[in-house]
Amino acid sequence: MIDERDLIAALRQKDPHAFATLFDAYSDKLFGLAVGLLHDEDEAEGVVQEAFLRLFEGLDKFEGRSRLGTWLYRVAYNASIDRLRKRRPTRPLADELDAGDDSLPMPAIFTDWSSAPEPLFASAEAHAELERAVARLPESLRAVFILREMEGLSTTETAEVLGINTGAVKVRLHRARLLLREHLSGYFAERVAAGGN
Amino acid sequence: MECAELLQYLSEYIDNNLDEELTAEAQAHLATCANCKVVLDTTQQTIFLYKQQEPRKIPARRRRRLFNQLQDAFLKRPESS
Repeated sequence: MIDERDLIAALRQKDPHAFATLFDAYSDKLFGLAVGLLHDEDEAEGVVQEAFLRLFEGLDKFEGRSRLGTWLYRVAYNASIDRLRKRRPTRPLADELDAGDDSLPMPAIFTDWSSAPEPLFASAEAHAELERAVARLPESLRAVFILREMEGLSTTETAEVLGINTGAVKVRLHRARLLLREHLSGYFAERVAAGGN
Repeated sequence: MECAELLQYLSEYIDNNLDEELTAEAQAHLATCANCKVVLDTTQQTIFLYKQQEPRKIPARRRRRLFNQLQDAFLKRPESS
């Protein structure tokens, strides 16, 4: 466990070990979020770079009101969204389109694949399908799902990163889970019915 | 509790965030509604599969390059006062 105050103090003193600790602790996590949102490793690398550079610039003013990780995630998230907007400046993000939509995705597939044999879930094809399913989520749901379920942030931390309230985090997570369940049900139910893996 | 309400509370139920009364109502509904039970079980399995995924890592060459670039920038920044 890193003591953040000690780490920040060491970073302010340009301690190279502190930099390595910081990089090891957060670079993969920020990259995971950025790739998840952008689906482009070059752009994701740019996002990680931007987040760290912004931290270096602001180190002297960093007041520790947010945790370091939350702060870095927030910069990486905003940088990713900026890049998405630049890619398609005339089209609003799915996030903006569905901002007022509280309707829940209705389940339509009721095959129970939850206790299918383990090899079915462990295959490379199944892993690719999991990735495809997340990639199809609207950005706003995808960001919440990655931060909460895959990066393990709390509801409060996720809300802070995304600049939304905790209620919105819960609603988006719920919608993301239902959409992913439906997508995966389509994939796994077919294989369970075929009786193979 | 009916199916639509169960669906609305499903994540709170999975995360153990419902109060005792709603939890009991959800359990009573799940005991009699096969479709909602499937939705619960497959949603829980969906969450489990994602939590089980290996965290994404920056590919090694890209990581080395990024580390070197950022370390340079870090060491060149002005010393704090």
